[in-house]
Amino acid sequence: MYLQTDTQTMDDLRLFSKADTQGIYDIYNHSFTRGGQNMMEAMFRKPLNNREAIIRRINIITAFVQMKARFPFDGAVLDQAEKYISFDDHPDGGTRVSLSEKEVQHGIMSVIALFHTLRWYLESAEIATVKELEEERLAAIGVLNDPAFIPVFNEKPDARISFAAITAFDVLIRNKEKRKVLQLLHFIYHIDVYVSVAQVTLQHNLVFPVVHPKGTNILKVDGVYHPLLKNAVANSLHMGPSRNLIFLTGANMAGKSTFLRSFSTAVYIAHMGFPVAATSMEFSVMDGVYTTINLPDNLGIGASHFYAEVLRVKKIGQELSEGKSLFVLFDELFRGTNVKDALEGTLAVCNAFTNRKDSKFIISSHIIEAAEELRKKGSAAFYFLPTVMNGTVPAYTYTLQEGVTDDKHGMIIINNEGILEILRQGNKGGTRLNKQL
Amino acid sequence: MSFKIDRQSIGELNLMGKFRQGSVYYLFNKVSTRIGEKLMDEMFSHPLNDAAAINRRVAIFEFFGKSNIVFPFEADQVSLMREYIDTTARRSQWVVTADLYLQKLLAGLTKDGRFKNTLLQLQATIVTLKKCFGMLELLKRENGPLQDRVDALLTIMYQKDIRRILDSDIYKPMSTRRVSEYDFLLRNRHNDAMKDILQFIAETDVYISVSKVSRERNFCYATAVEKEENLFHARNLRHPCIAKAVGNDIAMKTGSNVLFLTGANMAGKSTWMKSIGIGMYMAHIGFPVAASEMVFSVREGIFSSINVADNIAMGYSHFYAEVVRVKDAAIAAATGEHLLLMFDELFKGTNVKDAFDGTLAVTEGFSAYNNCLFIVSTHIIEVGEALKKLPNVQFRFMPTVLEGNVPRYTYTLHEGITEDRQGMMIIENEGIIALINKM
Repeated sequence: MYLQTDTQTMDDLRLFSKADTQGIYDIYNHSFTRGGQNMMEAMFRKPLNNREAIIRRINIITAFVQMKARFPFDGAVLDQAEKYISFDDHPDGGTRVSLSEKEVQHGIMSVIALFHTLRWYLESAEIATVKELEEERLAAIGVLNDPAFIPVFNEKPDARISFAAITAFDVLIRNKEKRKVLQLLHFIYHIDVYVSVAQVTLQHNLVFPVVHPKGTNILKVDGVYHPLLKNAVANSLHMGPSRNLIFLTGANMAGKSTFLRSFSTAVYIAHMGFPVAATSMEFSVMDGVYTTINLPDNLGIGASHFYAEVLRVKKIGQELSEGKSLFVLFDELFRGTNVKDALEGTLAVCNAFTNRKDSKFIISSHIIEAAEELRKKGSAAFYFLPTVMNGTVPAYTYTLQEGVTDDKHGMIIINNEGILEILRQGNKGGTRLNKQL
Repeated sequence: MSFKIDRQSIGELNLMGKFRQGSVYYLFNKVSTRIGEKLMDEMFSHPLNDAAAINRRVAIFEFFGKSNIVFPFEADQVSLMREYIDTTARRSQWVVTADLYLQKLLAGLTKDGRFKNTLLQLQATIVTLKKCFGMLELLKRENGPLQDRVDALLTIMYQKDIRRILDSDIYKPMSTRRVSEYDFLLRNRHNDAMKDILQFIAETDVYISVSKVSRERNFCYATAVEKEENLFHARNLRHPCIAKAVGNDIAMKTGSNVLFLTGANMAGKSTWMKSIGIGMYMAHIGFPVAASEMVFSVREGIFSSINVADNIAMGYSHFYAEVVRVKDAAIAAATGEHLLLMFDELFKGTNVKDAFDGTLAVTEGFSAYNNCLFIVSTHIIEVGEALKKLPNVQFRFMPTVLEGNVPRYTYTLHEGITEDRQGMMIIENEGIIALINKM
């Protein structure tokens, strides 16, 4: 089964690219074929929640990393073969179109070339060392050795084929044995994904997480950073049953949101069985990941920002009440309301969260008063991102420290941008009423 | 000088979006023809900033709203006519005739459809011209604000060779020579006049469909006055896209040009602000507004900040994104232009102390601009107390009525600063804490 998550989380983590911003997917996706890309996207949309499946994927990619694997097929040939094989002569309804002679000929030639490369690859020593793929490998060899495909191997990869033979091959490949050919293509796409992720692993020095069984409540990430940022600062954070809620404070621009994004991205990617941007990571498999970093309000359904937040907390409460273990993240919980409500709401929700020892919560907030109350709960831990002042210019270390901070530099930022100065000196048009301003 | 509004403000007010339900454009887009839609697009994206021009357009809308004229043209015939008129090659009568005979010959020999197509387009053009003639004569009798334009177009229609086209019967056989003669007249000699007629058809389409929407929804037309008067007055102003929206009054002028808005969550602050912004924008394109009465000074731009998202790629935090937005607004205001500035929940991305200092400083800064209208909402009600020393700030709030334990919102504006705090109650009503604690 799959890890539970939602589009809000995927948007928050910026998994997929949007307009002008790169997504996490773009870092990992260096696959050579369209089929491989689709498969990779499906993996991003559906992380796993099964320890065996995660470990299996990690082991396969590790093996490919160790052999410094390269993708043995030609992407162009594969795309051509795929286009040819997936062409449907008899679509339901609609006008009947058929492939031209040329397309059929190229398609068949690319399929033949592909079969030859595939057999050579499957029998090579490299792929045989990947234990987890042994079953698939033998299955694929079995398909290739099917007596139906003997004529394919009788042809030379680049030989020209006669008109009559093309008709025969067309019936064989695209009609009689279509299912088997598709099965082989599917296998190749898998190899594509693994090889490209393995290459990215080497290129970016990513690490594979250690996976613990569900319910062991371990989440230790060391040296985690945001893979999309250049010169990103790494941080470490350990969570467990005795510290299942992290209360994060810090001034604006101190890097809270970025840290939260990098940490939860690592948790998400780890559940896919992919390597993460950190120096080491251990985690227990969970049932779901929900983040709330950029929550839009929605006038269409009549909800204000605060109400949107409340509904989001409620949704997570529902999941929790079903006994699931979740990773939950709220950036600036209840920022859409006044101070007093935000304090009371944050306290009530955080207190309730600390009782759920099998789930992990990270709450960032500006309301330091809530921290005092939360200290009474044993399982809450407190961290902050510090600000160092150089005269009037704030500098940020982006390094996590234990404790609570009441740093606030909003006015300094406003002043540094010179907003009030602009307003003071601007052309006020009419007469000034307030001489004292 | 064009009217200033940026993409963010357009997005926040949900103005554009042909296919987005709930957008203001979607609400008004009831035109029948493609050329009408194109004209509507143009009107929507080019607000006017001249009071006289706005009032002129408003008068036309009002005239069509009262006169109950129905749009007589058929959309597909109009588009056939447009294709016909637009595909001109400015050829001489001889070439046209020769080409048509060739087309006819080919149509007889092969499956060539061009001759038939030409005939179809010509017939559609004749029918549309006839309808247009009828429409023009009707408008002339009504004696509306379009009189000059109507007269000019009627002069075209009364020309002898055009009359002949108008009098022809499309159900009677038509010789190829006649076809080529008309072709020459419509696509060459009188081509510019025909384009003008198409433009007129597009205009009537927009006028009729928009005034119909206005009539159905009880909208009204705003009166524009010169920008120097810095006046904004509306009664029963509401959000046009919300069914059963509650209307409120607003009155701003020099000396009371800052509106400080407070209220509990969900009380309707943002919606009220969007209503004001949309009303202003609609008024500037001369369209009807969702109010029962409205007078406004022409603005040179609208600047809103209602839902600012942060941008990690540009290295902005939420707070910084807001600061940048305010800075942009400050630069715009500092040019001395007459603007409408709206800030919803200023600095909501930061802690309370910062938000308090920031909101106060920025509101004070903007309130010195007597040539602008400035609306700010916040949940930090303490700022209101500090602003009371300024003479040109008016205070309004959206109240919450408690019925037992359930808050109810009236969406009706009251004078003063709110003291409602219902956030915790909403959390309790949703039963969230119990849910989390349930094993």
